[in-house]
Amino acid sequence: MAATATGIYHRSYQREMALRHTRAEYLRLALLVTALLATPYVLDRYWLSIVNTILIAVIGAVGLNILVGFTGQISLGQGGFLAVGAFTSALLYERAALPMPVSVLCAVLLTAGAGALFGLPALRLKGLYLAIATLASQEIIVFIARRWTFLRDGSAPLSVERLHIGGYQITREYFEFQWYWVLLGCAVLAVLGARNLFRSGLGRAFMAVRDQDIAASAIGVNVTRAKVTAFAVSSGFVGLAGALSAHYTETVTWESFTLEVSILYLAMIIVGGLGSIAGACYGAVFMMLVPVLLNESIGAVGDSLPFLSGRLPAIENAVFGLVIILFLLLEPRGLDRIWQRMKDYLRFWPFRY
Amino acid sequence: MKNIRRTAALTAAATLALTACAPGGGGDESAEGDGPIKVGVIADLTGATGDVGTPYNEGMLGYVKWRNADGGIDGRDIEAISKDYAYDVPTAERLYKEYVNEGVVAIQGWGTGDSEALMNKVTADELPFMSASYAEVLTDPEEAPYNFVVAPTYSDQMRVALNWIAEDAGGPADVAMLHNDSPFGLAPLQDGQDWIGEQSLDLTMNAYPMPAGAPNFVGLLSKAKSQGAKYVVIQNVSSPAAQVAKDIKAQGLDMKIVCLNWCSDELFVETAGDAAEGHVLVQPFAPSSADADGHADIEEFLEGEGSSLEEKGVHYVQGWYTMHMMAEGIAKALEDGDLSGPAIKDALEDMGAIDTGGVVGTGEVEFSADSHRGQTGTGVYVVEGGTMKQLDAGVTPE
Repeated sequence: MAATATGIYHRSYQREMALRHTRAEYLRLALLVTALLATPYVLDRYWLSIVNTILIAVIGAVGLNILVGFTGQISLGQGGFLAVGAFTSALLYERAALPMPVSVLCAVLLTAGAGALFGLPALRLKGLYLAIATLASQEIIVFIARRWTFLRDGSAPLSVERLHIGGYQITREYFEFQWYWVLLGCAVLAVLGARNLFRSGLGRAFMAVRDQDIAASAIGVNVTRAKVTAFAVSSGFVGLAGALSAHYTETVTWESFTLEVSILYLAMIIVGGLGSIAGACYGAVFMMLVPVLLNESIGAVGDSLPFLSGRLPAIENAVFGLVIILFLLLEPRGLDRIWQRMKDYLRFWPFRY
Repeated sequence: MKNIRRTAALTAAATLALTACAPGGGGDESAEGDGPIKVGVIADLTGATGDVGTPYNEGMLGYVKWRNADGGIDGRDIEAISKDYAYDVPTAERLYKEYVNEGVVAIQGWGTGDSEALMNKVTADELPFMSASYAEVLTDPEEAPYNFVVAPTYSDQMRVALNWIAEDAGGPADVAMLHNDSPFGLAPLQDGQDWIGEQSLDLTMNAYPMPAGAPNFVGLLSKAKSQGAKYVVIQNVSSPAAQVAKDIKAQGLDMKIVCLNWCSDELFVETAGDAAEGHVLVQPFAPSSADADGHADIEEFLEGEGSSLEEKGVHYVQGWYTMHMMAEGIAKALEDGDLSGPAIKDALEDMGAIDTGGVVGTGEVEFSADSHRGQTGTGVYVVEGGTMKQLDAGVTPE
């Protein structure tokens, strides 16, 4: 993480600690900020709604990457934790009439607590065994969401009133536009928070546990605490994503938090790059865009090839699987690594390294 | 620290400035003019309920083709944008947004899960929404002002089924309710239990969720057997229901199935084969074996397409008439000179009873401002000689 490329020298400790070292990195940041600011003015409502779902996915993927990519603890419970966040925030907002920031914050804390609880098996289990234990947490949470009638509005699913914060009310006409700023703000905070987490002692302890837990405990890392904290911190991010999705979609049903969602998020961080915050963002963008772009491209040729448009979901699944396999085979470290290799290639040209 | 504070202040100021000058939101442009009238269709062709979703969707698209060939609505074509969502709620939400962006004036949905998930959205966006989900909550204009339910609700079907069972048993009887483990499956359960209490029917009903993708239901049936169940009400689609019928026959159990509408079809009869004989089907839409005047247009259209109603089955009829109701609402709204969502909603509420030629329940579908429950009556059929033989027509829960 802290390692920088050859050829870049630092003259002060402060410079070395900086998040960005080269002019090109600052240029990229400027471009990114401009693009993010321009997005809602360029895209129409449909595409903006896709961007909004991507922003929620970014928060969730960053959270999952903290656990899987940085701490090395596999989790199949993502969907369940999203559900905890979504239901908590929706219930507090609707039934306890708390303002949205408070209800979301409570959802984050409660999901973090739930994450720590379901993370306890991680103290004893590793690898495949832990995967099955977290799979159980997914199934338990979704089972509760299915059966507990308290989590429904009578016979209807839990509905969430259109968002208002203080006197500020989301309007129908500018729904996606206004939500874009809310979600962008949260996503930026989440990304910055996670990025900085790994410059702190706690974040480094996570990585030490991932690389070799016995060695980590030998150098004084409290492995127990690190693992449980990793589950809590990761679930906190996931809870934020779940809470935002509840307010954004305005309806909470367990059907949006199935095992498939957990696997989709795992796919995001595998494709984006395990152990990289930027990778989680790339992966979220990529995996959310795949079905949309497939839909568009098949829609474009659909009239000449009705055979394809009738099988869209099947093709979607096939492409989904293919993408994961290709990434695991060709670049297991994901999109983030591809981007770094491209940068290195330019930087060291004409030498290879 | 100072730096951070300055950046934070700047960001806050910039955000405020940016949100203040919002771009113009798109309107319902396509509602005006003479172009085609767009209707979004969320279909399940390949998902968990694809076996019945496919003919339903074909029925809708068939109706649109037939109506357009007949001059459309007031000279304008209906353009049905139909996409498969594979019974996945997030996909349905995405398709819905896509349709809204394309400027559709109404939405035809499919399952209970997605209809309920989209309920608030269609209310906020003021888009009339019909679906193949007949959940009770969707009929209440207070809760779901833009949802319309064409057929008797699952709860009404359940009440009819329970009445039939009580009469058939002629005394105390045990009922096992096997249901799809989803909002769709659970929809009529509580109302059914309440009905037994209200009507003081001498029935005991236990519910058993059917695990998705199970190779057989012998385990569930043995539980039902130890409960002493003689009747099995199934709220699920045809394929698993047919499996239950086969299991009952293979195990030599003395149980009679009563299917609610999603497994009351030719597919159940064909798939279960001999094992289907004697079981009872509650189906609000008249199948091809029951002669109804409303079948004539469909049969003529399908003949022109080189197919037949026997081949397409009852869910084709269902899709056809659901689209018919929506088209009638749109036609009335156009006549009144306004094709917006609220206008179509008002038109559906005010247009009075629409005759379906004896196809739906007691024959007519009618909405009002107080109730979006189009029908309460349903037909009851028994499987005999591999066909659906009508026992009763237009039975309402009383």
